[in-house]
Amino acid sequence: MRRLLLLFFILFGKYCFSQTSPAQYLISGRVRDKKSQSPLSAASVTIPGTTTGIFTSNKGNYQLKAPQGIVHLHCEYVGYITVDTTFTVNQNKVINFDLIPSDKELNQVNVRATAIAHKEIATQNMTVIQGSDLDRTRGLSLGDALKSVTGVTTFQTGPSISKPVIHGLTGSRVLILNNGVGLQAQQWGQEHAPEIDPFIANQIEVIKGAAGIRYGADALSGVVSVNPKPLPVDTGSMNGEVNAVGMTNSRLGAFSAMLEGAMGPKLAGLSYRLQGTVKRAGNTSTPDYILGNTGLAENDFSAALQYHHKNYCIEGYYSYFDTKLGIQYDTEVGSIDDLQRKIAIGHPVTNYDFTYHIDRPYQTVSHETAKAKGFINISDSSKISLQYAYQVNTRREFEPLSLSSSLAPSIYLQIHTSTIEANYDHKDGAGFSGTVGLSGMNQGNVRMYGYLIPNFVDYDGGAYAIERYSRGKWLLEAGGRYDYRWLRAYVFDDNVDKINTTTTTYSGISATGGATYHITNDFKLTGNYSAAFRPPSINELYIDGVHQSIGEFEIGDINLKTERANNFSLNLNYSNHWLAAELEGYYNKINDFIFEEPTGSYYRARSGALLKFQYTQANVYFRGADLNLTIRPTDSLEISSKTSLIYAWNETIHDYLIYTPPARFQNGITYHFGNVGIFKNVALGAENIYVARQTHAPTGYDFAPPPGAYSLYNAHVDFRLLLNHTYLDFDIAAVNLTNVSYKDYLDRFRYFANEPGRNIIFRLRVPFKIK
Amino acid sequence: MFKLKHSIYALLGTALFYASCSNKAEQAVAPTIANEQLTSAGLKLTNQADPSDAPSCLYRFHLDNKGNVTSTDSTSLNLKANAKYNVQVVMLDTTQTPTFDVAAEIKDRANYHLLFFQPTPVAQQSLVFGNTSPYIPGTAPSATGPYLNLSVARTDQDTNNPPLQVGLADVFTTGAASTGKLRVVLRHQPNAKNGTFDPGSSDLDVNFIVNIK
Repeated sequence: MRRLLLLFFILFGKYCFSQTSPAQYLISGRVRDKKSQSPLSAASVTIPGTTTGIFTSNKGNYQLKAPQGIVHLHCEYVGYITVDTTFTVNQNKVINFDLIPSDKELNQVNVRATAIAHKEIATQNMTVIQGSDLDRTRGLSLGDALKSVTGVTTFQTGPSISKPVIHGLTGSRVLILNNGVGLQAQQWGQEHAPEIDPFIANQIEVIKGAAGIRYGADALSGVVSVNPKPLPVDTGSMNGEVNAVGMTNSRLGAFSAMLEGAMGPKLAGLSYRLQGTVKRAGNTSTPDYILGNTGLAENDFSAALQYHHKNYCIEGYYSYFDTKLGIQYDTEVGSIDDLQRKIAIGHPVTNYDFTYHIDRPYQTVSHETAKAKGFINISDSSKISLQYAYQVNTRREFEPLSLSSSLAPSIYLQIHTSTIEANYDHKDGAGFSGTVGLSGMNQGNVRMYGYLIPNFVDYDGGAYAIERYSRGKWLLEAGGRYDYRWLRAYVFDDNVDKINTTTTTYSGISATGGATYHITNDFKLTGNYSAAFRPPSINELYIDGVHQSIGEFEIGDINLKTERANNFSLNLNYSNHWLAAELEGYYNKINDFIFEEPTGSYYRARSGALLKFQYTQANVYFRGADLNLTIRPTDSLEISSKTSLIYAWNETIHDYLIYTPPARFQNGITYHFGNVGIFKNVALGAENIYVARQTHAPTGYDFAPPPGAYSLYNAHVDFRLLLNHTYLDFDIAAVNLTNVSYKDYLDRFRYFANEPGRNIIFRLRVPFKIK
Repeated sequence: MFKLKHSIYALLGTALFYASCSNKAEQAVAPTIANEQLTSAGLKLTNQADPSDAPSCLYRFHLDNKGNVTSTDSTSLNLKANAKYNVQVVMLDTTQTPTFDVAAEIKDRANYHLLFFQPTPVAQQSLVFGNTSPYIPGTAPSATGPYLNLSVARTDQDTNNPPLQVGLADVFTTGAASTGKLRVVLRHQPNAKNGTFDPGSSDLDVNFIVNIK
């Protein structure tokens, strides 16, 4: 292990840079109160005019590096007189500070800063949804909650199922982290939504770009990280929060409650959280008709327990997600003939009434995650963390009964995954910081009933290092990763009625390199290059069976090669007190990109002909731009504008790539009224979402041409009421206010029905303290 | 890179160790039980005027061990011109022992099912569609060219209120001598059956070669 770490240091760390920089000496010492001689922790020791600086440790110690020559050292601590000292450095030095308390009373302290989120890959674009923006997504699915992020769209299967698309890529190429654990569910179908309760989240982070270097091969196009807030540390405290959401369209009701606290002095350091969500929805309606059987029922629960000592921490976490999702009637087709007939009609032929009842076809999915995590601070600026997680994902799909009276599901799949990872984070005063890590995964599948995906066993291993160097206006970053996958599948041979065991292995190296240059304090430019790879997934290799809903018979290809991506991105970021602007351009070239292609031949099922789809590979590229503008002409007015443009081309067949998100423009305005009578923090906002028609679609591929452009208006008002010293936060929002009938290109049920009509959403959030 | 590789193997070793505690996934392949099996569909006819004239035809799906269709074959139906036949639709699952009568199953759930018929010419360009039940609605009839001279009427009803036709029992009326195909489609229309073709999805869609002499 130590050798390995050393190797990474040599490869990616200091070695590359220390060759050119002048001799550095170590300056160390301690900071104490002059009178009591007690150590002062978190006092700052800096070299003015440079980025070199550090806070003292719990024992008041500090350590930093300085070049040869005259060095100016600045030591500061709130409530004490600041000390400046200048001395000549030509060897390692010990400089101690004894600070004298300041007589001056602190009149007022203004802290105006935004916490800089810790970024695993500093030179990659990361968007964080939190605060009121996150509150406004309460009750929505995770996919829909992410739609407010520029460059992120969703791939939908009717109103109840959606999965995120980042820069045009979806499925297993987007890694979803639930409280630090990579979600290992069954990402091999379009109608498989991520099994995460967004009510858990205090913050959702979206990394746009290849993050495989940190998270493994599955993060080829990005990472969505759902983070709960840190467990409380105030000894003896107990807090809670209740969320309630009601929607008029599907008559959705969601109720979520959370209780957390930290134990009293006898058990200091021990804290906990319990959280649960219940969600029910009935049939969704479009402006013209009700979509039959689009209800959902969801029950989620999570629990966390943590022991925190100043130098180490152990944490246990468990979450349970259980959902039952109705699949729209009239989208179940038996053959190509059926499909064409339904597309020609374009809307359901039967009138349905509103009901909460979920009938066949439907699916039930449950996901359990258990995690144990710990870290230990081995010095003031380095720590080792270890995490183990076990996940079980169970999926049952119930088709309409027709010829048989069997009540069993048509498909039952259960996958078990254990993951382990170890990380070493370090930082020194001279501008170097980085992370080195190892990860391992084992996955297995159990199936029953219909054949779609074989049983398999998978072992994955990976090792990576990311090193960062920041000096002056520059931040430089480089990283490398090696991944290995061993995959054994038990493929059913239908000719001889026996199981064939096939074993394949994949390995590859990913790398990332990036730089950020701070042109001014407000203005920075970031460039990043990532080389990433993704081995074919089990479904791409071995799927063999009828995929209902759009009349397709899917066939995998055991000879698929690993797909390799080269991703370039350039990011301009400007922010001052009245303007925040971010422009990102990217080019993502993927060789051997794996996707499903219609073969043009038919598979004869009893119900008629089905179109055969075969997994295939092609060289493709994606290029696009995301623009994000927020203007605050006054303190109370906020204007925002988001633009996502994307273009994808299949070089192998010299045509566009199917299912590329069309151009999307989102413009909004919010006015903060402040306090109006008993209503506090009143804010009123409206926005328009314009999605263009996808004109860059291949011809003769799809069952129906892309639908037309659409323009939606949304509005919201939020305010706070004070009742018995308890805040009640209200948010009332209207989605599709003008009740527009439209279809979305990335909804695979667009062939059969329109998107939902007007929806008024009521949200109430009540945080409280228990004494 | 040499040392790195060794570390990976060491890591894989530990992965194998902890995974061996949970190897229930391995090779635990449960039997493939298909939810619905239909291997044969056919028609049994009896001439109303001559009970000894009882032609029949059978369409067979050949399945692989996963229940997927690998090939099909069909016998032709030979009818007399200008005659009336009582018809019974036959649907069987021959993978079960004894052979399972799927048609009886359909009869039990007749309120969800509806059969449609479509006489078509052998030559595709003179395809003729009927527009009324029990014919599959579609494009307007084009009478260019000879087509199968056969008309179909469903004679059974379900227990919906008011009752709707089912199509497991029918009467075929033949005209002048002709040759063509008869397409038979079973529509599955849970909670949506209304006597028309459109709701639901197809459970069965087969073509029989028909000779009227």
